[in-house]
Amino acid sequence: MNINKISLVLLPLIAVLATGCGGDDGSNGTAGQAGTAGVDGANGADGTNGTNGTNGTNGNLAVFTVQLTNLTYSQPFSPAAIILHEPGYHAFIDGEAASLGLEQLAEGGDPTELLAEALAATQYLDATATDGATGPRSIGTMSTLLVPLLDVDDLRLSFTTMLVDTNDAFTGLNAADISNMTVGQSMSFMAPTWDSGTEANTETASTIPGPAAGAAGGGGASAGFDAARDDLFDLVHFHRGVVTNANANDESKEGLSTSVLTEADRWDNPTARIIVTRTR
Amino acid sequence: MKFFKVASAIALACSSSALMAQTIDIQITNLTHAQHFTPRLVIAHDNSVDAFEPGVEATSALAWLAEAGVIDDAQNAASAGQNFEALLGPTDTDNTTNTWHRFGGLVAPSTSLSYAFDTMDKPYLSILSMLIPTNDAFVGLDSIKIPTTPGTYTYMLHAYDAGTELNDELNSMRTDIVEQGGAALGGYGVPGVAGAGASPVPLGVGGTGVAVKVGFAEDGSAIGANEVVDGTDGPVHIHRNILGDTSLTDGASDLQSTEHRWLNPVARVTITIPSS
Repeated sequence: MNINKISLVLLPLIAVLATGCGGDDGSNGTAGQAGTAGVDGANGADGTNGTNGTNGTNGNLAVFTVQLTNLTYSQPFSPAAIILHEPGYHAFIDGEAASLGLEQLAEGGDPTELLAEALAATQYLDATATDGATGPRSIGTMSTLLVPLLDVDDLRLSFTTMLVDTNDAFTGLNAADISNMTVGQSMSFMAPTWDSGTEANTETASTIPGPAAGAAGGGGASAGFDAARDDLFDLVHFHRGVVTNANANDESKEGLSTSVLTEADRWDNPTARIIVTRTR
Repeated sequence: MKFFKVASAIALACSSSALMAQTIDIQITNLTHAQHFTPRLVIAHDNSVDAFEPGVEATSALAWLAEAGVIDDAQNAASAGQNFEALLGPTDTDNTTNTWHRFGGLVAPSTSLSYAFDTMDKPYLSILSMLIPTNDAFVGLDSIKIPTTPGTYTYMLHAYDAGTELNDELNSMRTDIVEQGGAALGGYGVPGVAGAGASPVPLGVGGTGVAVKVGFAEDGSAIGANEVVDGTDGPVHIHRNILGDTSLTDGASDLQSTEHRWLNPVARVTITIPSS
């Protein structure tokens, strides 16, 4: 190896010596062609990584997606209030009077005030309204909520949404325990239907905000929230279902002839399914 | 490699049966007042099988089960290629993604039946059965994770509407009305409640239709005076219950509001995982 190297180095020297021994030089020839460009050099070594930044306060967040399925045949759901919170907060309690926020949601389909009430609660962690209504027999849009990792070990999920072809029916979850979910885990809940107890179930066009009343010349915001509380008892309770005008004029006389609802607007529980997935 | 697999399998068989094919006990109770359950489809499966999903359109297999109570070719040759047998593969076989069995006969209201079922170590369990007499109601256990700890586990089941047939509530034993075009009322793909003959209380006649009226299309336009249209109301959703009426000779429905209605839950399933 070494011997070969030495002989290669010596070769040009011998050539030079050889040419030096010749007679008169001839006239110079034309310049040779320019050589090709050399190859690029190798990249330098990577620099060292910078030091890690320090964590912010509660900087580590767990991420949850929540998706609602409307299980009813023809009751659209209003935009839903979805709330992640610590134990102690309740959007509603059976046998107690509804908050103003719940009344506005259950009569008019507006979750704004209920979400404001949740935000004011000390147990509040995160909340959102679903992106618009969820149609009957359909799977709704996915909502994403964030809570500090520290709170994952004792976490509750609540949601409420109005069945909009009713006076004041709503479905939801009341502080469902979703503590200690692992990343990738999903939980599924089936939800029954409550009556907010804030409005008599007259089933008329002027008291129901949804499309069934709209088709009868009523509906809309003016038929939604009404501050008066005129149900039999001003207490949240399980909904007894809608009577509707079906069978109102046959011999059974079972129906409510003044109702704008039809047999298609009936439901059985559960009316909603909610799937919560921890994604981070 | 093959030798080592066999060797380890033998070792497992000798030490524990925890990972071997497992036979569980399934008891189903009909909680309704006057609805029979058709033969039960019991499926143990992995997460690639989904016999039904609320908010999603029914398969033809689900339509056969929910409209006619049909699961496999042996029950109804006309369902071949469209039924759950076509969807899942041969019965009582490890079809890789699933294994299934049809438990025959009817479950009468307020009665229970029990079965031994080999899950072949599939992780999930689904059970489906039609409610008769209805248009397309079925009771469903929706992909529960099969417990692994020995014990007894109870599940309450809801009645779903397959969404593949309008709930006209018309007695399929009637001959005075037909499907638009002339076919007799009854099971898959035609209007009318299936299983009218099994009802413990008599069905009426002369009903004018609930979700759709005799003599009218879905949009209200007139068709033949004795004809009923075959429409759909999907995707799969929770059944809004029978409407019925109190007349055996007229009214909207041929079902009886005092007898045929139900409220969820409509069934209780109790699963017993044996100690090995």
